[in-house]
This record gives sequence, C-alpha cells and structure tokens, in this order.
Amino acid sequence: MTPLSHYLIFSALLFSIGLGGAIMRRNVLVVLMGLELMLTAANVSLVAFSRAQGLEGVPVYDAQVLALFVMAIAAAEVAVGLALIVAMFRARRGVESTSLTSLKD
Amino acid sequence: MNPAIQAILFYIFALGALLSALGVVVLRNPVSSALSLACCLAFVAATFFGAGATFLGIAQLIIYAGAILVLILFIVMMLNVKDEKPAAGNWFYCIVGVVVAAMMAGTISSAALRLPGATKGRCPVHVLAEHANELSPVPQGAQATHPPTTPSEYGGMLPPVSMKEGESDISLLGKTLFTHYNMSIIILSFALLAGALGAVAVGRKLHRD
Repeated sequence: MTPLSHYLIFSALLFSIGLGGAIMRRNVLVVLMGLELMLTAANVSLVAFSRAQGLEGVPVYDAQVLALFVMAIAAAEVAVGLALIVAMFRARRGVESTSLTSLKD
Repeated sequence: MNPAIQAILFYIFALGALLSALGVVVLRNPVSSALSLACCLAFVAATFFGAGATFLGIAQLIIYAGAILVLILFIVMMLNVKDEKPAAGNWFYCIVGVVVAAMMAGTISSAALRLPGATKGRCPVHVLAEHANELSPVPQGAQATHPPTTPSEYGGMLPPVSMKEGESDISLLGKTLFTHYNMSIIILSFALLAGALGAVAVGRKLHRD
C-alpha cells in the first residue's frame, strides 16, 4: 500500500500547480480552474488522513464528510464566480484580469 | 486487490493527475484547459477509489467533472474567449508564480516527510495523542536517529481498508453525515441556496434608467 506521506506530497504538488496557475494566468476563467485544483488537492489530503487515522482498516469518516462539504462549497463558489465573470464580460468586453484597473486609474 | 498493484496504480494515477494539472496551467486555449481539468479531476477520483473512499470518488466525478466542468465549458463557449496572447511584462508574473508555487510545494512536502511517527508507519495524530503529556511536541521515540534515506522510512504503509460484514463505505459515511453533522449539512444547504440566488442576482440584466 501507499504511505501517507506520498499522498500528502501528491496533494502538495497539485495545490502548488493550482496556485501557480492562479498567479500566472490572466484569463479569469483559468484562474477559477486553478482555484478548483487547489480545493481538490485539499480533498486528497483529507481522504489520506481519513485512511491513516482509522483503526483496524475502517477509515475515520469525519474527514470524508469535510471533503464532501468542500465539494458542495466549491459548487456554490463556481456558480457565483461564473456569474461574476459573465457580468465582467458585459462591462469590460473581455475576461482578462489586466482589464480590471478601476482602482488603479 | 494485490497491494503492490494498488500502489503502482496510485503512482500512475497521481502522475496523470499532475501532468493534466500542468496542462490546465500551460495550455493557452481555455477550452483545452477545461478539458485538461476534467482529465485531472477524473484521475484524482481514481486515487480516491484506490484509497477506499468510493463514495467521494463517485461524488467527485459527478459534481466536479459532471456539473462544474460543464458549467465552465458552457461559459467559455458562451463568451467566445480567445487564446491568451503573451503580453509584455508577463514574464514577471510567470517568475513570481513559479517561485511561490515551488516554495509552497517544498514546504508542504518536507513537512509531510517529517511527520511524527512517520518512521514507524503510524498515524501522526495517534502518535501525538499518546505523547500529549510530555513536554516535547514531537515524541522522542518517533524521531529518527539518522535522516530517512529509503522510501520505506518515509511514512508507514497505510492499512488496507477492511469493512465488517454488512457495513460499506457509503453506509458509514451516511451515518456520520446524518448524525454528527446533521445541523452542518442543513446550514450547507442554505449556503448552496444563497450561492444560487447570488448567481441569479449578479447575472441578471441591469436596467439602467
């Protein structure tokens, strides 16, 4: 079987890729996808800890319930985020984050 | 299933998930990014199946790859988003992003490799709970006398999932969800409702006077 630390390293790498994408990309839709990657990475580590803390082969299900909550909140976040992106497209005719300069100018 | 096969499958699925996650970040076309994200989430769901969390794997496939990805693809096609063009000064953000992501990965990975009880193959939470009365936050017995060198010293093997007769993953998860977390799931449903209402409120056409 796989050790716990390998699951955690996998989760860390996935989170870092999502974070890098959220910083590097200018397309707001891709930034949203980076956020999804980060939430999924958190779910991976929750599932791994749920396996590791369980005794006699039965996982501790509190962590999996938390992962389920994360999924539900991610669904709500994507609904609101996409509505905001559509509103931004109507106002600015584009989805580039560099076009949001109202506070700067 | 044979544990060795299960371990090999985990590494294959994890590698696939990481590669398709890189595709999300690197590909210029948002449609390609979204499809790459779908691939990545499916691989992560496969690792959930391998870890014994079958219900979470199914939920991951249905909610993320089924609902969220379709919504994102729909918006990408509705807005007719073009490929991202490289702009002047973008290299600065690339360098900042890579440095921050590499620092994050290094920090979490090194913390994962130094978990208490890692060399004995036990859960860090159990080891810490047993040694809660001692002064040192990290128990002496769990510290390796030499830095770990072989993969078997980096964290113990996770125990295989073995259910009792008449119990399954989904029934235990449901029992936990609807007993201890009953109030939380009601509050969560209101959060989902607020999200749906907020999406309608933000997305409706503005009537200017």
